[in-house]
Amino acid sequence: SESRAEPETGASNIVSTVNLGCPLDLKFIALQARNAEYNPKVGVYVHKIREPRTTALIFSSGKMVCTGAKSEEQSRLAARKYARVVQKLGFPARFLDFKIQNMVASCDVCFPIRLEGLVLTHQQFSSYEPELFPGLIYRMVKPRIVLLIFVSGKVVLTGNQVQHTHTHAQ
Amino acid sequence: MRVCKNCGSSDVDVDQARGNAVCMGCGSVLEDNIIVSEVEFVESGGGGSHAVGQFVSSDGGSKAPSFGDAHLSGMGRESRAQTVQRAKQHISTLGHQLQMNQHCLDTALNFYKMALNKQLTRGRLSTHVIAACIYMVCRTEGTPHMLLDLSDLLQVNVYILGKTFLALAKELCINAPAIDPCLYIPRFAQMLEFGEKNHDVSMTALRLVQRMKRDWMHTGRRPSGLCGAALLVAAHMHDFRRTVKEVVSVVKVCETTLRKRLTEFEDTPTSQLTIEEFMKVDLDKECDPPCYTEGLVKKKMLQLEIELKKKMDNVEDEIHGYQDEIDAELESSRPKLRGVYGAYAKQSSQYGAVSSPSALKVELQEPNEDDALQAVAQHFGKNLDELTLEALIKLERQAQDGRDEDLDTPKRRGPSLESILGPMPSSATLSVSRRGSIEEKENDGDPDGGELDLSGIDDTEIDLYLLDENEVKIKTALWMAENSDYLKEQIEKQAKIAKEKELGIYKEKKPRNSKKRDQIRANTADEAIGKMLEQKKISSKINYDILKDINVKPNQEESMKPEPSPSPAKVMPRSRKISQRIPLNLSTPLSSLGKRLQPFISKQPNKKPALEQNSNPLPVPAAAPPPGGVVVESGPVLFDIAAAEDEEDEEEEACVSAMALMGGNDYGCDGDYDDGF
Repeated sequence: SESRAEPETGASNIVSTVNLGCPLDLKFIALQARNAEYNPKVGVYVHKIREPRTTALIFSSGKMVCTGAKSEEQSRLAARKYARVVQKLGFPARFLDFKIQNMVASCDVCFPIRLEGLVLTHQQFSSYEPELFPGLIYRMVKPRIVLLIFVSGKVVLTGNQVQHTHTHAQ
Repeated sequence: MRVCKNCGSSDVDVDQARGNAVCMGCGSVLEDNIIVSEVEFVESGGGGSHAVGQFVSSDGGSKAPSFGDAHLSGMGRESRAQTVQRAKQHISTLGHQLQMNQHCLDTALNFYKMALNKQLTRGRLSTHVIAACIYMVCRTEGTPHMLLDLSDLLQVNVYILGKTFLALAKELCINAPAIDPCLYIPRFAQMLEFGEKNHDVSMTALRLVQRMKRDWMHTGRRPSGLCGAALLVAAHMHDFRRTVKEVVSVVKVCETTLRKRLTEFEDTPTSQLTIEEFMKVDLDKECDPPCYTEGLVKKKMLQLEIELKKKMDNVEDEIHGYQDEIDAELESSRPKLRGVYGAYAKQSSQYGAVSSPSALKVELQEPNEDDALQAVAQHFGKNLDELTLEALIKLERQAQDGRDEDLDTPKRRGPSLESILGPMPSSATLSVSRRGSIEEKENDGDPDGGELDLSGIDDTEIDLYLLDENEVKIKTALWMAENSDYLKEQIEKQAKIAKEKELGIYKEKKPRNSKKRDQIRANTADEAIGKMLEQKKISSKINYDILKDINVKPNQEESMKPEPSPSPAKVMPRSRKISQRIPLNLSTPLSSLGKRLQPFISKQPNKKPALEQNSNPLPVPAAAPPPGGVVVESGPVLFDIAAAEDEEDEEEEACVSAMALMGGNDYGCDGDYDDGF
């Protein structure tokens, strides 16, 4: 099994939370904003913007979850845009505690991986259950990241450490 | 050797018959009722003899051994023992359905006990936990039981069971070895009923599976699928007719999966061997896993496509270049039509299919956009769908190469094309301009303490996200229509709450806080005690009303107590004497009492209620006997306190005896009263 071109990497998703610091009237916002839906049973309202292409879940307490961004700066920018929208509708929104909760990245090592061998050598970290899931779940302790390793050589990393940790883990 | 505790002599006589251990030196009995390990026999009617004793199960059984005092203790079995017992039952039921041996079942029970200790059974259905324990045993022992079997038995989704199993394995740090498809072959072979040749078919199937393993076909796949494919091939090799359907019903995979495995196996070079060759020879070359090869194939295809496209572009450009030249030549060589015919010819050439860039310019200005687009597309030989802004610009640039070296031309062309192609989505244009601003903005933390940093956000863009009035109305209408049920529910709920509030029985559903009690804020010790008692509600036998009376002021106590009836003169001086003091009775606030009782109160608050209770009935009987003659209704406590007040100068006792408090000293006084009658 030859290794071809360089492994390609890229962060595919970043989840972050921020506190807008004021209670919100979700119905009002949902009816005023474009690309927004309010589901009263769940009590949350979903808002999407096109640039950066992200989705935000906003709660009536003023807390907000922003998903779908490709990089940390984009996530921050998107969160600020949502806050700005809310501000324009008349609520005294602020931008407290922006925190990145989770980052997902994928990469390709370009050669097939022997999962059984991996589970034999790294028993305490890996969990491989072919009946349930075709990939091997490897929980790295330092840095604290979970990797989904597939036999085709594709690896998906997820965890809430900073971006450079992802590259380090590769 | 046993040593006597009392005298230290080591001469201890143990008599098994009596069950005693006696020291020979001092004669003290060291042990009594010794538990013996002898077997006694008893003669039964008819001459037979039986051993004395009961059989006790090794794990304690359902009941703990009771030595004749079972009737004494009223406690049932411990709840933990009950849980384990129930689990044992379930495990054995499931295990017998799966034909597992007792050793496995015992191990499963041990797993369950471990899980219990680590509180892993909480929040999970007991059936799930038990199934997970059993499966864990299967994995560690290597029995051919699949998770699918368990889920079949329990009718539970296999992924739910898998989740429980994974969680348990992680917590208990049990690393189960990976599943080997070879384990399942004998089991499935038996179910397929190959008769005598069972062993041969199994061996062939095993070889096949090993070959598959070498060819990387088994990684990431369910082992049952592989086994199914291997068995099918092996059966055919040995002239057994097993259809795909039969195999599928045994192996529990889908037909599609089976076919896919067969195809994959077909792709490997081993499939080209004949049967004999296969049994003897093992090819050295190992293949890549199928998903990897597919990925490679896809990549290749993409690359090929791109290359071909490029080539096509070049070729087409060439062709069109030639076409243009030919047309130009034809035009020039054609005899020029003069007069009316010339005018007609020009007109037709304008509306016909355009083949020169100069005519293209004319076409572009036409109001009819579709025609223009078609013409443009035709000129460049592409489909209309493939027209993109950049592509057009690029192609135009190529067409212009020969004539116009001016770099401004493409830019000038840009807007015109844009206007023709219609308004592009605003975000695209925004994104083009946005990219610049995104790079510029800073993205450090918020040093401004939570204020919204507006740099890099374009207000106009944000305004786009807000609807105008009409749109708001429409959206409101739509949303109301969709969520009408929920709104109705909300209205009903509100009405109910309002009604109940009117009736005064509305219990506000406060969120359940943990039982944190507020700190008792009280000015004095007695207030604190009173409040604490109210909160804690120590006993139901305490009359709390009396407690409350303690805190009532002295001037109120007149109303509480019966008026002193006109007393005989004899008692007067005494009563006067007494009444001069602070009328002490149970209603008197404790703070006004002398120091004597204070320390008692602060130190032993709990005793007080009992005391009050006891002293409560006392005044009543004490007051009762003297019929209407007693002036001061003070109870026994009073006198003691009175005495105490008199004797304040005397030494103070920290603790007053209950007798004293109850008025033990009053016997004399009572006697005085009695003498009065």
